[in-house]
Amino acid sequence: MTVETVKGVATWRKVVAAVLFIIPWIVYLLLPTYNTVSPELGGVPFFYWYQTLWLFITAILYVIAVLLLYPSRG
Amino acid sequence: MAPIVTPLDWGVFLALFVFFTFLGFYGARWRRGDLSQLSEWALAGRRLGVALAWFLVGADVYTAYTFIAVPSGVFATGALYFYAVPYVATTFGVAAVTMPALWRWSRKRGYITAADFVQDRFNSKLLAAFVAITGIIAEFPYIALQIVGLQAVLTVMLLGIVKSIKLVSDLALTISFIVLAAFTYTSGLRGATLTAVLKDVIIFASIIAILVAAPLVIPGAFSTAFKEATLVASGGDPPLASGVSTLKAPFFAAYTTLWVGSTLALYLYPHSINGSLSAESDKRLTLSLGLLPIYGIGLALLALYGILIYGDAAAMKILSLFPASARGSLVIPTLAVTVLPPGLAGLALLGVFIGGLVPAAIMAMAQANLLVRNIIKPLRPSITPQGETRIAKWASVFFKFLALGFVFIVPATYAIWLQLLGGIIITQTLPAVFLGLVTDRFDKYSLMVGWAVGLGLGVYLFIAAHESPLYPILGHPIYIAVIALAINLLIVLVGTGIAMAVRRTAQAKVSVK
Repeated sequence: MTVETVKGVATWRKVVAAVLFIIPWIVYLLLPTYNTVSPELGGVPFFYWYQTLWLFITAILYVIAVLLLYPSRG
Repeated sequence: MAPIVTPLDWGVFLALFVFFTFLGFYGARWRRGDLSQLSEWALAGRRLGVALAWFLVGADVYTAYTFIAVPSGVFATGALYFYAVPYVATTFGVAAVTMPALWRWSRKRGYITAADFVQDRFNSKLLAAFVAITGIIAEFPYIALQIVGLQAVLTVMLLGIVKSIKLVSDLALTISFIVLAAFTYTSGLRGATLTAVLKDVIIFASIIAILVAAPLVIPGAFSTAFKEATLVASGGDPPLASGVSTLKAPFFAAYTTLWVGSTLALYLYPHSINGSLSAESDKRLTLSLGLLPIYGIGLALLALYGILIYGDAAAMKILSLFPASARGSLVIPTLAVTVLPPGLAGLALLGVFIGGLVPAAIMAMAQANLLVRNIIKPLRPSITPQGETRIAKWASVFFKFLALGFVFIVPATYAIWLQLLGGIIITQTLPAVFLGLVTDRFDKYSLMVGWAVGLGLGVYLFIAAHESPLYPILGHPIYIAVIALAINLLIVLVGTGIAMAVRRTAQAKVSVK
């Protein structure tokens, strides 16, 4: 049996997609960088709203990665 | 104590529950297929597009864990439980890489479960059975957690109406489960998909409604809530021990390993895989997975409501009627009742209620698939496809009621810690399932030994840490799933290395002769 991969996709697309998938890991692993109270947003400490904001950014990164990996097929 | 849920809310709740039941049964007629085929019943004929896959997988992985356990954890422990946010951000990245590959294998070879894949990949029915048994067992406490969520909703609804809340709530739960079992038996994943859309829409409407209504009811909303919560935490014997506005330093390692471990675990759970395999193409599946972190914003808000409730005097007064250990799971139902206008509160309560029912249905179906495909079929290879489906349907009914019985016997707090044990157990199938997607060069016996040692070690550390998912290493509490997986992977790698060396020596001897 051979490994099933996305066929006919350029290497640069795979590399960029891999980077996009890894970015959220790096962001969230750097816990001390976001473990602060200020700046607050509507009374919510930075620790909470920053991580929530990254959910949104993560979805954008993932969708770009998916579109890179599946250029045309339905 | 006067009832806190108005007749109007009861009306909305019951009317929508009837509609939920209708959708569940209507599923059998929707995109009609031959429901005596397992892929039609259990995977809705593999025909879900981006939007439906998003709703189904969303409804499937955002469960009572999201609506009850996470807010409960933030309410009682503080910032530590916000680990659920990075967890859902990265878990869909893992899913977007692994699930399309598994989807392609499954489409090509007709796999229904991850264990089907493992069996072919490593040519071992035994290894597949291990993966299947792990999945079935790990799923039980997860279903139990859903039921704890249902109990929380019923407790708030029945408060001040009946004297013996426990008895009436158990009765209501049993009736709900009969309804659930009946429509999943008839409609399979189609019923779960239609009800999933209803569930997701109601949940989102409720989360936004609470966000809009909170500042009107709670002066200062989050500012007030964080101040009040900090006050509570500083008042001796504190709940919220891990910090309120930020995470306290001793919990850094726990925070990071909890989200990393949970990220690796989620897409090994049979229900997540079951949902993913029902998509109609790999691109559509991947796109919907990529969009699912957005659903996580709802989870983040619910987690924050675990703090918000500290600013809501009326809600805190209701919670004070209950023992401290039972308060956490009541946070969201109570907040819905005190913050939302009548009518909308009933909607929110129903959202949380079916937010537990829909995943419970999918989990029991995933268990049933594993039982039939990877345990019964290898023992009785002559079984017909129709026979397979028939057994799977009944097994899903059986598993649901087994979990229900379990919750009636075991106290709720245990159900939640068992869910964490479930995560430790299921993670031990990662080498065979996820790494199997990348390579088939692992030695199957090393995979079995790694699995067994990881499982044993995980359970041992869980007990040694006094039934906690965290075990201290060099003074830092670490999520046990991560520790056990590391040892498991080490065994698989070293064992495979030895097996390869032995094989090479044997071949060398043969060629010398």
